[in-house]
Amino acid sequence: MFRQLDARSPIPLYVQIADRLRIAVATGELRPSLPLPSVRQLAAQLRVNPATVVQAYRELEQAGVVESKQGAGTYVREVGEGNRGAERHREARRLVRRLLQEGAALGVSPEELDQAWRGELKGRLA
Amino acid sequence: MTNAIETWDLRYRAGKSFELRDVALKVREGSIYGFLGPNGAGKTTTIKLLMGMLRADGGQIAVLGRKVPSDMPRVLAQVGYVPERPHLYPFLTVEQAINFHAAFFAGFDRPYADELLGGFNLPGEHRLSALSKGEMGKLHMLLVLAQRPRLLILDEPTDGLDPVVRRDVLSALLDFCSQGSTTVFISSHLVHELERICDWVGVLDRGRLLAELPMHAFKSGIKRIRVENPPSLIGDTPFVLVARETTTMDEIWVVRGWQAPMVQWFEGTGARVKEIVDLDLEEGFVELLRAARVPAA
Repeated sequence: MFRQLDARSPIPLYVQIADRLRIAVATGELRPSLPLPSVRQLAAQLRVNPATVVQAYRELEQAGVVESKQGAGTYVREVGEGNRGAERHREARRLVRRLLQEGAALGVSPEELDQAWRGELKGRLA
Repeated sequence: MTNAIETWDLRYRAGKSFELRDVALKVREGSIYGFLGPNGAGKTTTIKLLMGMLRADGGQIAVLGRKVPSDMPRVLAQVGYVPERPHLYPFLTVEQAINFHAAFFAGFDRPYADELLGGFNLPGEHRLSALSKGEMGKLHMLLVLAQRPRLLILDEPTDGLDPVVRRDVLSALLDFCSQGSTTVFISSHLVHELERICDWVGVLDRGRLLAELPMHAFKSGIKRIRVENPPSLIGDTPFVLVARETTTMDEIWVVRGWQAPMVQWFEGTGARVKEIVDLDLEEGFVELLRAARVPAA
């Protein structure tokens, strides 16, 4: 789930972790009844500062994606099917915005990205 | 918040060529502090001063709120220290080495040591002389973690270890950190490794502390900016200009303390900002050293 974690990126690690978890929730990879990994597990697994994991979980909690149950860990919050669709839609837009930003930083225009995007899709659907 | 390590105007002279000057460290309790610097910057010397192994020529040192070196025994009881070249008797077995180390620390956690022994896959009955470099690296980390220290001082703990061993050693360290509020002071020139785990950075070069700040501030505040039509003379800038270079088209400025609204400052001078590039820790570190070594223009 965390393969793309990149410490060198200007996007803070806690944001990257929170984003990955958001996507996992939106796609149903993480389900409401299951607890998230503990801070201790995740920090050791990703080799990041435990405080970074705490910050990611706190952000998700504030956004209402997860809730922490006293002494029992952090759980994905129950959301309706409709909300999950909305969250997926938001996630898709977030990804596209990031692509545009990175493109801009590299001097790749939105038109070029659009063209590349269509080409890529065509290849997949063929 | 208190500081696990603090120094004031620390000075130390070794011969004519090397001097540590005005080093003022502040290592917040609970932080994982990356102590960066090129080879020969004085990192190991600083650490030896903190551990009371060298006597400072000036300034003061406090570790865990106690004076160094006068209160050293009480400091040492709570500090896990992996020196640059750790010494263990090669004729001991792994088990014996653990017992030997444990005898010095009242709070040594034997069950935890056994847990780490299993996790690291270390052969308890083997003599240290028969261990690989990677196994020795794991053993050193095991010994200090099982002390359950309040402060870990690690001098290049993963230097010369292969990536798999490095990963195991760092995971164990971070697992330990998640269990309580330990402070970690870790020196390394493996910048990418520190970038992942540290929340504070201090940069030492040629005996001087060039910068000390939270990792996110270090990373978000340092930028490379491509400027069109830049001002030739500059007065006060809202950021710190680290370096400027002319290319065929534009000038490249490296700045510290950058915030987005500062683009207006350039517009005010009639210049135009064409591009702002984020630097990662390594690039920021290199730029900082480069600027420190250029005599002020």
